[in-house]
Amino acid sequence: MESKLKRYEKIEFLGEGQFATVYKAKDVETGNIVAVKKIKLGSRIEAADGINRTALREIKILQELSHRNLIGLLDIFGHGSNVSLVFDFMDTDLEVIIKDNTIILTTANIKTYMIQTLQGLEYLHLNWILHRDLKPNNLLINGSGILKVADFGLAKLYGSPNRLNTHQVVTRWYRSPELLYGAKQYGVCVDMWAVGCILAELLLRVPFLPGESDLDQLTKIFQVLGNPTEENWPGVKTLSDYIEFKPFQPVPLKHIFTAAGDDLLDVIASMFVLDPSKRKTCTEVLKMPFFNNKPAPTINSKLPLPQNVRKLKELERPSLKRKLLDSAEGGTLSKRLFT
Amino acid sequence: MDVICPRCKTTKFQNPSLKMMVNVCGHALCESCVDLLFLKGSGACPECRIPLRRNNFRVQLFEDSMVEKEVDIRKRILRDFNKKEEDFASVREYNDYLEDVETIIFNLTHDIDIVNTNKKIDEYKKNNKEQIMKSKSKMSRDEYELEEMIEFERQQEEIRRSELLLEQVEAKKKKIREKEALIDELMFSSTNAKNIVETFAQQAKESKEIENKQSVKRPTQFSSGIQFGKQSNTFLPLPIEEGPLYIYQPPLVIMEGPLLPSEEELSRVGYLRHVRVETEQERAGGFKSNVACMRALQDAFAGLYHTKKVAV
Repeated sequence: MESKLKRYEKIEFLGEGQFATVYKAKDVETGNIVAVKKIKLGSRIEAADGINRTALREIKILQELSHRNLIGLLDIFGHGSNVSLVFDFMDTDLEVIIKDNTIILTTANIKTYMIQTLQGLEYLHLNWILHRDLKPNNLLINGSGILKVADFGLAKLYGSPNRLNTHQVVTRWYRSPELLYGAKQYGVCVDMWAVGCILAELLLRVPFLPGESDLDQLTKIFQVLGNPTEENWPGVKTLSDYIEFKPFQPVPLKHIFTAAGDDLLDVIASMFVLDPSKRKTCTEVLKMPFFNNKPAPTINSKLPLPQNVRKLKELERPSLKRKLLDSAEGGTLSKRLFT
Repeated sequence: MDVICPRCKTTKFQNPSLKMMVNVCGHALCESCVDLLFLKGSGACPECRIPLRRNNFRVQLFEDSMVEKEVDIRKRILRDFNKKEEDFASVREYNDYLEDVETIIFNLTHDIDIVNTNKKIDEYKKNNKEQIMKSKSKMSRDEYELEEMIEFERQQEEIRRSELLLEQVEAKKKKIREKEALIDELMFSSTNAKNIVETFAQQAKESKEIENKQSVKRPTQFSSGIQFGKQSNTFLPLPIEEGPLYIYQPPLVIMEGPLLPSEEELSRVGYLRHVRVETEQERAGGFKSNVACMRALQDAFAGLYHTKKVAV
């Protein structure tokens, strides 16, 4: 165990989540750059319960999965009472790209991002796992433009008829109407809704349905899609948290996504369906004409990335060049503070 | 920026094609409310009860409707207060005049001392009747010149377009002619077919080169003399990276067991009889028992044919 701690040399601090801190590190044995996620122990009471359950979920599920578009769990090691997970190192995430207004996303770019997301998710669903926390900042992207679905802290097996799941999953803006209505039995449809929201966000460059509360979230959904009825969503009234809303007129998606072509609108519409059983699955969506039509998806390595990702890559090159650049640009300290 | 119609409370979020309209009073209304309230062509403003006419409504250009109101008033006032600098003896007088005009506009916009201001306007109109008429006709001469210029530009555009069209037709004709000549040659000539094709290809290439040389000269300026592009790279079209088209490929699942029945077979063969039917509530949540059935089958079948790899 001690040896493993030494194997990964900390380079810099990357970020801190609710349950973990993430460092960028170098694998001394292979020379690869990796991300080490150190699970926080929290309070003494929690520690007495053992390892955090989101970490357990992540370990349990990722151990068995391997796909180009899913984050790879490379190693796990413990040190004292800590547990650390070693992941592929990813340069950025989709949220950064969406928010970076110097990046122009073409239809071809969006197609590539969507195909990668859907392929990763399709594999996940085929293995009976729901992600349950899809959002742009959980879709990580590395310097060569490969997108990987990450953060499996809420992922869970699905398809068991007797197990009840909690509906308090998925970040609110990406939460599907059936979850908001308190469904305890659900399927891949909750992930598909989130993918729809992500696609919408790629097009609009702002969150599509930014609800301020759970009720406001439902209002925002119905303002766009119209109210659910027994006709368009059979059984909706039996859901435990069902409430009636004042009637809204659906807005044609064409008016919202004015820049999207008809084939793309079809894709959006196939995921924004109120009735979860009528929502398309990953496989069905990937087979839609949009993905096969022109323009062809952008090659991964040519996807637009934030400028600092490219710059960082340059910085990692031999130090002589970095020094030259430093002197030419008058030092990069201030720049690094901003990145 | 959240635009909201004060009457029907429609927001830009609900209806992205929302169009706000303003009238002389500067109170905004959305297009559909205008249609509804001013069905007869005239009515009162719902905010300030001023009688309005429907044809005076126009699309709101500025976010602040006070600006719209001011623009309206300014237009009306300047129609009468249309003196030019040449009409004054000194710059000082001209500046005073401009100051007066601005005061009048400001007062009207902000509803200050309206009675007196209107009186002032009427007085001015009476005193300067001749002057106003003269300036108006002068202004129209300016406009006339402008119109002439636009017309001239339009004609130029027309000529250019028809030239382009002619060129295209000519090119098409030429292509057909060449093709026919090639076929004729192949049919009647006694020389080697390969040679004929080659000479024709050579000719086509040469003529294309000439054409290219001719078409190098392209307009690189706007009519105002500003160069296209160049200054701002940001608006250049993005380079298109053509990759291969996407073709769906199902992911590989290693079953190592008997093949699973298809979705349709589940009910036809009767697998579904052995699982609990989903309740209405579960169905509404997106859970279907055939999903559970499929998973149970896969759990049962997967790995049945698995054999341990014998170490050599």
